[in-house]
Amino acid sequence: MARQHDDTLTGSVPDPETEPAPGERAHARRFAELVDEALAGRTPPAMSADDRALLEVATVIRATHGSLELSPARGRAVVEAALRQAVGAAPAAGGSVVPIGRGRGRRWAPWIVAGASTLVAAAALAMLWLRPAAPSAGAPIGRAAVPAEWRSRPADALIGPIARDRAGDASARLDTIFADRLDGFRARRLGQRGTP
Amino acid sequence: MNHVNVRRSAAASPGAGLAVALAVALGLAAGCSAERESGAPGRGSDAPHSVTRVTDPSDAPDLIGRDLLVALAQAKNFHHKAKVYMSDGNLAAATASVRQILSLPFPRGAAEADDVRNDARALLAKLLISQGQLDEAARTITEGLAQTQRESFFVANLYTVQGEIHEVRAAAADASGEPGRPAARDERHAAIESYDRSIQINQRLQSVLMEER
Repeated sequence: MARQHDDTLTGSVPDPETEPAPGERAHARRFAELVDEALAGRTPPAMSADDRALLEVATVIRATHGSLELSPARGRAVVEAALRQAVGAAPAAGGSVVPIGRGRGRRWAPWIVAGASTLVAAAALAMLWLRPAAPSAGAPIGRAAVPAEWRSRPADALIGPIARDRAGDASARLDTIFADRLDGFRARRLGQRGTP
Repeated sequence: MNHVNVRRSAAASPGAGLAVALAVALGLAAGCSAERESGAPGRGSDAPHSVTRVTDPSDAPDLIGRDLLVALAQAKNFHHKAKVYMSDGNLAAATASVRQILSLPFPRGAAEADDVRNDARALLAKLLISQGQLDEAARTITEGLAQTQRESFFVANLYTVQGEIHEVRAAAADASGEPGRPAARDERHAAIESYDRSIQINQRLQSVLMEER
């Protein structure tokens, strides 16, 4: 039998005009019964490799002609899987199908968040760069708030005009300047310590 | 299942990466802005500046700080050293000591720096005059006047010493006899011009100081 089946698939193809041999008729009848049983859901557990190959081909041919219908449960499962795959969502628990609209929303959510973050960050950067700089240290506000004796400044007001006979008395003038600036430094340090 | 997760992570990662990059850029910009507001570390502050520190009037860069006092104290020391040398009759060593004041590092922008250096130049020129180095003395004054940033009583004093140099030159020209008379006259004119400039500066500054009071 196996040899005959092997011959059926791998042997020489008989001329279509010749009458089928009795063996061929018997084989065709038996294969037809096998196909009928398979379509009825009673596929025999054991069959030859040639019969299995032929049976698969017959099933495919039948399916392509549209005469094969899925059961309602199987059809729903296939649709759900396709929808999940389309929206990139996790498999729904309990078999509920995720709506396509919500799935699209989930897919675009990261981009919406990123876009909003971009706009906020761009606005913040623009504010940081375009706003006028705050008064820096030493600007008029700071100068007005700090006592004059705390600041480095020309010594003209302290020394006054230098007489000709005192032109070379730089040492004495420097002593005066140093003493004044030391007082200012101490006052500043004490003043800052006293500031809460 | 796996391909679904891969698709999810692929969709979320560009947005997450972009958000992280923007957050980093925002942080850097904020840091730069804070640094721009805080300004450069000034001599008036003794504590290190923080980029997140709020501007404080007591942090103004022109505050008297340790650096300024150190520079003034060093100048005092050189002056004292020069006085000792002068009392010992060692004018060359006294000159060298005063000359060192000119190279003392002062805090950037310190108004006292000009005053101290100009006063040192005046003393240096007088020391050079006393040693007969009139050209060197004149060069010392000229350099000081060229480097000065503003009018001050110390600049006026430089003009005064410049006038003295011209007077000494005039006296030397007179001493050479009749041929030196024209040069002596020119030197006296130059001395008068220098004194006039000194007087004018003193008058302007005194007017300003009177108005401020």
